[in-house]
Amino acid sequence: MREAYKIDHQLQLITAIKDNNSIALKEFYTSNYPKIEALILKNSGSQEHAKDVYQEAFISMWNNVRNELFTPQNDSALQGYLYQIAKNKWMDILRSKRFRTTQALTEERMVYLKQDDTVDDHNAYDEKLNTTMTAFKDLGQPCKDLLKTFYFEKKSLREIALDLNIEETSVRNKKYRCMEKLRAIVLASKS
Amino acid sequence: MKDNSNISQELLETIERYYNDTMSKQERIDFELRLDESSEFRTQVEDIKTLILGIENQSLKEQLDVFHKDIPTHSETPSASGIFTFRKLAAAVIILLAVTGFWWFNTPQNDKLYSKYFTPDPGLPTTMSSNSNYDFYDAMVNYKQGDYQTAIAKWDAIQPKNDTLNYFLGVAYLANKNEAKAIGFLNKATQNTDFPLLNDAHYYLGLAYLKDGDIDFAKKNLQKSSNENSKKLLEKLD
Repeated sequence: MREAYKIDHQLQLITAIKDNNSIALKEFYTSNYPKIEALILKNSGSQEHAKDVYQEAFISMWNNVRNELFTPQNDSALQGYLYQIAKNKWMDILRSKRFRTTQALTEERMVYLKQDDTVDDHNAYDEKLNTTMTAFKDLGQPCKDLLKTFYFEKKSLREIALDLNIEETSVRNKKYRCMEKLRAIVLASKS
Repeated sequence: MKDNSNISQELLETIERYYNDTMSKQERIDFELRLDESSEFRTQVEDIKTLILGIENQSLKEQLDVFHKDIPTHSETPSASGIFTFRKLAAAVIILLAVTGFWWFNTPQNDKLYSKYFTPDPGLPTTMSSNSNYDFYDAMVNYKQGDYQTAIAKWDAIQPKNDTLNYFLGVAYLANKNEAKAIGFLNKATQNTDFPLLNDAHYYLGLAYLKDGDIDFAKKNLQKSSNENSKKLLEKLD
């Protein structure tokens, strides 16, 4: 019963993360940072490193949760998962800096590199996503706000219309035009 | 992405429905059939999906910077700031003491007892199985997250009401500071003597009456509950 209750709590956390519930995201973000900061500071990193690595790890975790790549096994599963991703990312950085000179490919290292691949894989898809992210970052503020409210905060067209005090149909049209604009920027930065 | 493939507003919204999983069964089947058949369609859907994902990822990234500002900073020149934070802490403690003291001496005894003894029922476990009681457990998730307003609205819509439903509606109303409504529902929940949560129902009903200022009814209900807390609270009321 007690165990079931704990996993139940993890499921709620996961549901909240999938919904981009900002209270849950913030709570989860702020409560897990100190542990990872301590790890990176202890291993020759700075606070700036800690923040970057943690945020990258957090976004990976969030994407994996949404793509159902993660299922909780115990009460602190998601917290441990986030820690593991951040740790691996920091190891990657340390490795690339310090061990740029040849290093023997021992069996142990092979295993390490392999398990790394499953946590985050860099591929063409990531690149495409990055292009889109940059394009969205530089999109005009009105479009940016609208798309963020609709796609990230998951507010309905009606709610947005009420907030902006305009017709629902014009929100709908604006959203479409903003998407077209974003798409055009992505296409332009590709060629 | 291919720039010659125009994406209409209608297509955009169809893909949104697919992505948000709000399609009807038939629409989904048709949509997936089209995905299988046309590679151009597949690319279009992929493109839009990437756009939406990009928006969400970048939004989150920017949001994280905002969150980050709220992480308490530490380990900056500990010698100087140490005393400073100690002073701040001391000031905070004094203010806190003053405020709680003020509150303590200005609230009636019954309210104090109520606040000391009232914690909402932890709720029932909500497993993600295919549950016939979907609406009930859906509201239970809101309840557990402390969103009593939403939980009440969802539970209120369920008909007919059984003991468990009346009980949780009562506790939710009580947590939401509406004693009158809470008393109504909890009274209904205590009618059936076979109700498994009868002890708790009497306990919360007692608390609701206490909060409402009706000590006699509060005692009567607490006496009917064999909870540890009921007994303790009764002693304090006598």
